[in-house]
Amino acid sequence: MLRITGGTIYDPANGINGEVRDLYVEDGKFVSSFTGGRTIDATGLVIFPGGVDVHTHVAGGSINFARAMTPEDHRRTQAFIRSQTRRSGLGGMAPTTFATGYLYAGMGFTTVNEAAVPVLSARHTHEEMADIPIVDKSCLVLMANNEIMLDLLEAGEYERAKHIVAWHVWAAKAYGVKAVNPGGVAAWKWGKDANQLSEPVEGYKNTTPGSIVTSLAKIIDELGLPHPIHLHCNNLGAPGNITTTLETMKHLEGHRAHMAHLQYHAYGGDDWDTMKSESAQLAEYFNAHPNMTTDAGAVLFGDTVTITADGPWQHLLYKLTGRKWGNLDVENETGCGIVPYSYRPSNLVNAVQWATGLELLLLIDDPWRVFLSTDHPNGACFWRYPEIVQLLMCADFRKECMAGLPPEIMNRITLPEINREYTLYEIATIMSAGPARALGLQQKGNLGIGKDADMVIYHSDKDIARMFGHPRYVIKRGEIVIEEGDIRETPDGSEYLVKPSFDPGTDEFLRPLFEDRYCMSFENYPVEMERIERPDLQQCITTE
Amino acid sequence: MGGKVTCTLGEVKNRADFIVYWGGNPAECHPRHFTKYTLMQKSPFLPRGRKDRTMVLVDIRETKSAKASNIFLQVRPGKDFELITLLRAMIKDQPISEAQVAETGLTIEQLQDFVSRMKAAKYGVFFFGMGLSMTRGKHMNSAALLTLAAEMNAFTKFVAMPMRGHGNVTGADVIMRWQTGYPFGISFNRGYPRYNPGEFSTVDVLVRGDTDCAFIIGADPGATMPQPAIDHLAKVPTIVLDPHVTHTSKLARVHITTAPAGISAPGTAYRMDEIPLPLRPALKSPYPSDEEVVRRIKEALLEKPDWMGERPQMLQNQI
Repeated sequence: MLRITGGTIYDPANGINGEVRDLYVEDGKFVSSFTGGRTIDATGLVIFPGGVDVHTHVAGGSINFARAMTPEDHRRTQAFIRSQTRRSGLGGMAPTTFATGYLYAGMGFTTVNEAAVPVLSARHTHEEMADIPIVDKSCLVLMANNEIMLDLLEAGEYERAKHIVAWHVWAAKAYGVKAVNPGGVAAWKWGKDANQLSEPVEGYKNTTPGSIVTSLAKIIDELGLPHPIHLHCNNLGAPGNITTTLETMKHLEGHRAHMAHLQYHAYGGDDWDTMKSESAQLAEYFNAHPNMTTDAGAVLFGDTVTITADGPWQHLLYKLTGRKWGNLDVENETGCGIVPYSYRPSNLVNAVQWATGLELLLLIDDPWRVFLSTDHPNGACFWRYPEIVQLLMCADFRKECMAGLPPEIMNRITLPEINREYTLYEIATIMSAGPARALGLQQKGNLGIGKDADMVIYHSDKDIARMFGHPRYVIKRGEIVIEEGDIRETPDGSEYLVKPSFDPGTDEFLRPLFEDRYCMSFENYPVEMERIERPDLQQCITTE
Repeated sequence: MGGKVTCTLGEVKNRADFIVYWGGNPAECHPRHFTKYTLMQKSPFLPRGRKDRTMVLVDIRETKSAKASNIFLQVRPGKDFELITLLRAMIKDQPISEAQVAETGLTIEQLQDFVSRMKAAKYGVFFFGMGLSMTRGKHMNSAALLTLAAEMNAFTKFVAMPMRGHGNVTGADVIMRWQTGYPFGISFNRGYPRYNPGEFSTVDVLVRGDTDCAFIIGADPGATMPQPAIDHLAKVPTIVLDPHVTHTSKLARVHITTAPAGISAPGTAYRMDEIPLPLRPALKSPYPSDEEVVRRIKEALLEKPDWMGERPQMLQNQI
């Protein structure tokens, strides 16, 4: 039992904006009151619900590929030293699993969503997630380039495709569906891409990226997955891709959708020399369409490693940078590409990207629909979120940073004209309550009675980055896990799954198709339930 | 240079119409490779199977794998790096000299034919074995071939994959990477992982005599390592976990017989393309699994006082 008294509470899920209240925790949940138990005096301190990351890459084949490719970064980064009860680890661009848990918890995040998992290596992803301590986890299965599903859509067999999607969600023991560059990753298997939403995908006659997007969004709504289609649009990172992004959004009308890392999809111009931010245009459309949520995919200057299922984009980035290139094509399902990258303020393209991420966060008016993310590790590492919070809360600090950018950037961005400053209440929304709601995790991002007692207690500090980077306490399900920068406990988190319903005949339908395309036994393909450590099965929902 | 452009084996089965084995002898060392993945399989993209595929073998001698290949390129021993470098120049139409070609033991016609076939392929793949990665040039050879594969993507789809073996070596590599950031050659003696092959690799630690205990699981260094390393294993308390009594068991202080993984112990094995496969035991064993033994040793160690003493939780900068 734990009582936290006198803290100033920001709990957007319950409309509580900076009120002094006491919180009571029993058996890992908030309760209305009790007597006795330990008390933390939080007078003068600020209390948020634990952070929720809606889009990150922390476990599985692709981040592990990135770890292999960046030993030079492991050597220069921070090291966590083992104790008798705590495992060692390394931070940096692609942190090790144990360090991932420590670093997330260390800045007050208690739930993370791994955004990209192929079924074929989902067993690996779950093994890694079991080694990420403290935080609760979920993951999304990659579907938009699954050729068995694409063939069904091509043949007009929508209902069958729906069963196939549901079957794959359960086979991967996933929580939702991710779509990456629909059709483009499949085309990359032949060294091609899919740039036009209305042009057939390489190898198909009728199926276009646009039709894949609409079908998948509809399937996911009809299956009632708590989290909508999680979409990485076509043409990521390319100058002028605003057209594709807006067109994609039109394909989603009438459906729920989460647009991943929108910053990478908000560019105007014709080439790298003329590239500019189109965040104002994008935000205007987005503001008028409440069916969508998004995460920023913000960029911070510095070194990182980019990881995406978007294989063709990574080939382009390798050609642009001449740096290391990792690529992995996964049979029938997807692929992934890895390229280390340094975002530099002196580079005009990078400077535009930096501004675009912040502009989207500032120009989208509803904090319940835009969330804090860097698409870790693509735009920056997740442990740099406090720097973004500072940029959002302090217009003067933004101006200071902008002074260091090349002067020719000013007609390419709108950031200098934006004076909005986020409030603590809005930060709590984009960092916790909003992403929890978008994920459909009702126990999270909420300090209400009966909810999971995940919270973070900050010193009130004028130095915003320091405030959010160094919480006084982090509490996970009622247990103090971080206290003044020290790791106290490393409990194991749960894993959220859903089991959408599908025709029991799907196995027998899939088996021959599987045996044609894959090279393992069909029985070995789905991840067995007993391999998930601490599973927490969530219910599907009814959507309109 | 750096990185790796690769795919899962099913992609090879489905798409690869141009397959190069370099410095390996799959016919004898990976006998199921041809039939399961590379040559014999048919797919919607390669409906005639073997007839739709071209196989090239690059090796220093004509092994049994040469019989399976369409083209055999006999490279002069120790000249793999030079050959790869010439190919990298030729795909980009950079000038090369006759003398350079002659050094590789091949003719300019052979090289030109190879380059035009690589470029004409729809999906090309290099599989490379220890004949490339462990001969003169070692990791530089592997890096050169991986770079050639990466650069071929300017013309067509091309990937590369090492031919790994020895049970679940890939699984060890994968798990070490997610737990420590590094695949092998890791020292924990400062309480956090550090990596330096040549210093912290098992053989180097043993030869220097830097360890006062050895714990060997599912490997037989007593049969394969250089004599000074074996001598050191015999000198210190060595504990072996293995289903069989190995050469290492015979020089060890303790041998614990464990259930063989995949036959009577469950688990996961990672294939050479890093795809995890579940192991389902077919038989029961009177012996405990490796995992159970390690867990019980760990529990017993926790009873002991913490020998590391006072230290910080975290170092901002490694020393």
